[in-house]
Amino acid sequence: MEREVVPWDNPEPLRGPIGVPLVDLLDRVLATGVVISGDLVIAIADVPLVRLSLHALLSSVNERVPAPWADGGPL
Amino acid sequence: MTELGTEPDPDESALYVFAVCDAPDPRVFDCLPGVAEDQPLRRLRFGDLTAVVQTVRAADFTDEVWQVRMSARDELERYARAHHDVVSAAAASCPTVPLPMATLYRSEERARQALIEETGRFRTALERTAGHSEWGVKVYSAELPEPTPTTAPPVPSRVSPAPEASAVRSRPAPGAGLAYLERKRGVQAQRERRYEDSLRLAETVDAAFQSLAAAGRRLRLHAPQAEGKGHVQVLNATYLVAERRAIELEALTRRLRGATGARIDISGPWVPYSFVGEV
Repeated sequence: MEREVVPWDNPEPLRGPIGVPLVDLLDRVLATGVVISGDLVIAIADVPLVRLSLHALLSSVNERVPAPWADGGPL
Repeated sequence: MTELGTEPDPDESALYVFAVCDAPDPRVFDCLPGVAEDQPLRRLRFGDLTAVVQTVRAADFTDEVWQVRMSARDELERYARAHHDVVSAAAASCPTVPLPMATLYRSEERARQALIEETGRFRTALERTAGHSEWGVKVYSAELPEPTPTTAPPVPSRVSPAPEASAVRSRPAPGAGLAYLERKRGVQAQRERRYEDSLRLAETVDAAFQSLAAAGRRLRLHAPQAEGKGHVQVLNATYLVAERRAIELEALTRRLRGATGARIDISGPWVPYSFVGEV
């Protein structure tokens, strides 16, 4: 893989979950950003969540397997 | 402020905040589902900034539910990608500060209040990342076979005379203990050398990208299982690079690959997730 272009500036965001490996995504969506205290689930923005998610990753199938839903919608 | 102990009413709603932006184009969110199926994404004005939010069922976002969700890979992936899709759509339309996944408030008023309190930090983050993107760089050490005792450095002849060595397998030759120790030491030394080489490789690549970037951060290294066999990750870093300099990244990567022989993967441009917090 020479270079992976993350399609966040793609004109069609609905093209779905392609190109971004989950492990790299989690590095960014979990532990970074401006951390402000939320009301409901403050505990999960902390280390335990990161650890849990890593556990899920490691016990899972290979990173390169495509996302398990086909319609491009997450829910 | 936190009320983790209280069970929310099944009908109670909460507000999920994805990102804070300058002035996002509302149309970019029209077709995105966000993290709840029955409520649209919408904009919440606070001061002169706008948050991208969605009303969700509070019962779907309790601490317990998240703990379970985060330990199931498929669920984790769905939510991480849903969050990322919204952040990316916002960033495609205007400067954006992503919030960490699962930032929730009990009400719109609570959210607005918290956001207003943090306006200064959002402004700082927007200024720092304006005209920049984030690029990920992962480096893997060149594949080397794991050293085994049988390929250890030659044992001094006074310890085990070579011609008879195989014939006396069943009974340890005189000095076999010493030979064993020396072999062990050889393996250990080789391992240490490899470790030092990896550190040097990581430093070399990091320094090269730092010279091009406005800022850089090291992220945690990924376990080998996440990357497939035979690749040992020695650097997982991410850099904030001015858009006008992004074109230099590819040439730099190629040059570093040639100079080091290592596998170097770059990814991007990312929304600058890693550079909007306390850097």
